[in-house]
Amino acid sequence: MKKSILSIATIATLVFVGCGDKSNDKNAASSASSSAAVSENQIKMVGSSTVYPFASAVAEELGATAGVPTPVVESTGTGGGMKMFCASNESPDITNASRAMKAKEYEECKKNGITNITQAQIGFDGIVLAQDKSSAPMSLTRNQIFLAVAAKVPSKDGKSIIDNPYKNWNEIDASLPAKPIIVYGPPKSSGTRDSFEEMVIEHATTKDFKDLYEAAGLEKFKSVRTDGVYVDSGENDNLIVQKLTKDKNAIGVFGYGFLEENSDKVIAATVDGATPSSDSIASGKYPISRSLFFYVKNDRRAAVPALDKYIALFMSEKMIGDRGNLKKLGLVPMAKEQRDAAIKDVMAKKVLNPSDLK
Amino acid sequence: MSTLTQNNKRRVLAEKLIEYALAAATGITILTTFGILFSILFEAIEFFKLQSFFYFMTGTEWTPGVEGAKFGAVPIFTGTLVITFIAIIVAVPIGLFTAIYLSEYASKKTRDIAKPIIETLAGIPTVVYGFFAAITVAPFIVNSFASIGIEASFNNALASGLVMGIMIVPIIASMSDDVISSVPDHMRKGSLALGMTKSETIKFIVLPAALPGIISAVLLGLSRAIGETMIVVMAAGMRANLSFNPLEDMTTVTVRIVDALTGDSAFDSPDTLSAFALGLALFVFTLILNIISVYTIRVFKEKYKSSNL
Amino acid sequence: MSNNINNHNPFYDPTLKKRHLSDKIFKYMAMSALLISVAFLLVFFTDIISKGLPSYKQAYIELPVKYNTETVADSSFAIDEKHYELVSRAWYRDMPKYVSENPEVMNKTPIEWVLADDEVDQYMKGHQNTLTDEQKTVVEELKKQGKVESKFNTLFFTTGDSKIPENSGFLASAVGSILTILVCIAFAFPIGVMSAIYLEEFKKDNKMSQLIEININNLAAVPSILFGLLGLAVFINFFGLPRSSALVGGLTLALMTLPVIIVSGRTALRSVPASIRQAAYGLGLTKWQVVKDHVLPLGMPGILTGSIIGIARAMGETAPLIIVGMIAFIPDIPTSFTQAATVMPAQIFTWAGMPEGAYIERVSGAIMVLLAILLTMNAVAIYFRKKYEIKW
Repeated sequence: MKKSILSIATIATLVFVGCGDKSNDKNAASSASSSAAVSENQIKMVGSSTVYPFASAVAEELGATAGVPTPVVESTGTGGGMKMFCASNESPDITNASRAMKAKEYEECKKNGITNITQAQIGFDGIVLAQDKSSAPMSLTRNQIFLAVAAKVPSKDGKSIIDNPYKNWNEIDASLPAKPIIVYGPPKSSGTRDSFEEMVIEHATTKDFKDLYEAAGLEKFKSVRTDGVYVDSGENDNLIVQKLTKDKNAIGVFGYGFLEENSDKVIAATVDGATPSSDSIASGKYPISRSLFFYVKNDRRAAVPALDKYIALFMSEKMIGDRGNLKKLGLVPMAKEQRDAAIKDVMAKKVLNPSDLK
Repeated sequence: MSTLTQNNKRRVLAEKLIEYALAAATGITILTTFGILFSILFEAIEFFKLQSFFYFMTGTEWTPGVEGAKFGAVPIFTGTLVITFIAIIVAVPIGLFTAIYLSEYASKKTRDIAKPIIETLAGIPTVVYGFFAAITVAPFIVNSFASIGIEASFNNALASGLVMGIMIVPIIASMSDDVISSVPDHMRKGSLALGMTKSETIKFIVLPAALPGIISAVLLGLSRAIGETMIVVMAAGMRANLSFNPLEDMTTVTVRIVDALTGDSAFDSPDTLSAFALGLALFVFTLILNIISVYTIRVFKEKYKSSNL
Repeated sequence: MSNNINNHNPFYDPTLKKRHLSDKIFKYMAMSALLISVAFLLVFFTDIISKGLPSYKQAYIELPVKYNTETVADSSFAIDEKHYELVSRAWYRDMPKYVSENPEVMNKTPIEWVLADDEVDQYMKGHQNTLTDEQKTVVEELKKQGKVESKFNTLFFTTGDSKIPENSGFLASAVGSILTILVCIAFAFPIGVMSAIYLEEFKKDNKMSQLIEININNLAAVPSILFGLLGLAVFINFFGLPRSSALVGGLTLALMTLPVIIVSGRTALRSVPASIRQAAYGLGLTKWQVVKDHVLPLGMPGILTGSIIGIARAMGETAPLIIVGMIAFIPDIPTSFTQAATVMPAQIFTWAGMPEGAYIERVSGAIMVLLAILLTMNAVAIYFRKKYEIKW
């Protein structure tokens, strides 16, 4: 008898552990802070896959040197990150972004009572087009690249928008080599792809060819062609380099940092006459580049003491400076003055001004 | 005496309680199914409020992330089917012949060695298969075809398909092994007594008898292949490419789900919601396959219920 | 003559030779199917091991290290200019901490083995690397003097993820895997066994129970990634459990493993002969007593076999964990179920996407460890099955 009571008890406990788990969790959900309390002082961040490697490097450095738990960095994409960041004034503490926050996203934040946000610019991201080292270096203009990769391009007579007919570079411009166009680039999920589309295709369709595209009902058009000329090449940039060494006609699209690392194997094309380099990117002379940011909830700085340390470390010369660690990972540093101004604003917890956002 | 009846009453109560507890545990599986369905369904409905269901099922252009994005899933479905087809072409003959060998030819000793080998295949995680497909098989295919002058994509469907085929060999082999072994022995003996060779007995007597079970095994392998994620995320392409050439890159339903949920697009955009629409399609499709599979295996069992006794 | 006899033999089949040949061909085809699996495993293991073994070695360089106030302030001065770039960034980073823990080295310049940069390591292993020709000559020089050496890579087994390839290890993900699997077992095993008992011993044969049965069979074949969507919606969004935690990952995997345990549990219970139950009832035991004291113990080996296989599969699973946030940069070794954690397959997945050759090597190295664990689990399951298999 005793034994059977015991076994009832065991079974019952098992069931209640199963169900009990859930009821506890409900409590945890209703007072979300209690669930967060467990991992307090561990910074959590989400956001852009472009900023992810930089943020992880700073996080690791912080964990290794400052005696605080290493922050957790998740790559969710800029949009996904903003969504989670704006959902509540709790974790995640930081969202990384490969573009400035959009006014629409700020509204979402504001709706949930999050307005004490500081924007930190950390540097630039440059996108390069490179070939195998043995090829003759190409010099392209931004619009030529646009004509080579966009899904829809203006017709030769400039009157209508047609599906991209170009198969060889010299069809775009007689001065270019008579070689087939073949571009290996990052997939849709990648931040680099995003910036490439925005900085090359959308740039053209909203500036030089704006009227034409608007007339065709294709405002802000930024699709890359899908007829096999542009080949999605997975997240592994090494595979792109492998393909380039095999196919001498091919052009690869990747971040500037990867170019520096593989300068023994590939050579970059000049764009609008500018060779990609730290200087030309930071000065804006090299056109396919953009700013990178992270956004932090200032209210969380009090609750998570490590947050201040993380921000201070990230915004230090050691990280984002001219000889900083992040440069080795592909970040293009800002000019000294711009950098100092950015550091000053962040350390002073300057609150994001919604009227600065688009 | 009265203590005994009291004891009995307590006992009956305890028994009831235990039964309810056990039933409650069983209920969790039901909750899980509904949970999966609902966690996909609502977001999928959101998606179909924004996008046409008809175009999703019949459209041939999948261009998320742009103004005027198009969500025609046909190229994604064909990509999934091409890769699955390659996997089945690989897995069915290997799996079935392995099962035949194990159940009809192999000595007990060979079986003891062979079974763990097949189980080892089943024990390899899919992320490992994916790594092998991407780093070893795909470059090998590209190089081999390049040597005869045919160009193949590094994300070619063939690599994912081949490796996925190996992955589902154990499913087909072990299930077919079970059904072939359960075909009653008197059928074999009868056939052999009539002068049929062993292979003829297998081909004309054993396999037709085991066919429903084998079909069920193949369907299960098929649904595993369709739902497989890591191999294709790592080795297949991202491009919604409407093609039947296995040397080209193509994408699958599961790849697009992962991509949509981890990519750079906003959470309430149709790009992200498309993941749930695709998830729903995946759920419904595997559900249908499973139901057919369950039904055919039942047919098989009914058929041999009496003869086994 | 003999031909003549055969021709008159009414049982003689002139196609007999052909039939025997095709009989043989059929047998060899069946055999070769098995051989293909064996061949695949051979190629697979050779490939993984040849790629992975080098990860267990790591290059170290023997250099004079300057420990003084200046070098502690900026550790890049601790190594002379010529060798500066050959030493790991992780070493420079950890140097000040090392000095504060070992103050006796201060103001000395001992000759020490320091961790080499991953490119030096790759060069030493004869792999692709980005060293300049100049750096290569320096390394060759060191090599001649015996001052650069591949040693056992302890870091790989004792640290977590790192953005510095030579400093990265899989211990954090292994601990994460253990925590996640513990949650999975704690949830899936009891519930799975209870369901199996209910379905096999208690349930009444009606429409409802048929539905449950179809449902479980179906659940066993639902693509794993859909369980990830469920985990995200239920555990994270509804119950508010911490994202990326072993708790959420384990619960998600538990739901996925449940059908496997139930199905194998039922098979095991079904194989216990009715005579055992009848004898127990005959002695006046209640249903639950029969199950608990007789049927369950006899079915346990079978239940364990199925459960171990199911849990091994959960341990190798990645797809649903992508959705619940366990694929992230989480270098710290988790110490609780609610803390952010990653798992070994997730670590393999993230490293596989990294550009540096050193990571590809580490992926294969981690795969070897993971496979060793999983295949051991499978072997244990098979052993159980063999040892306790009862032929009734």
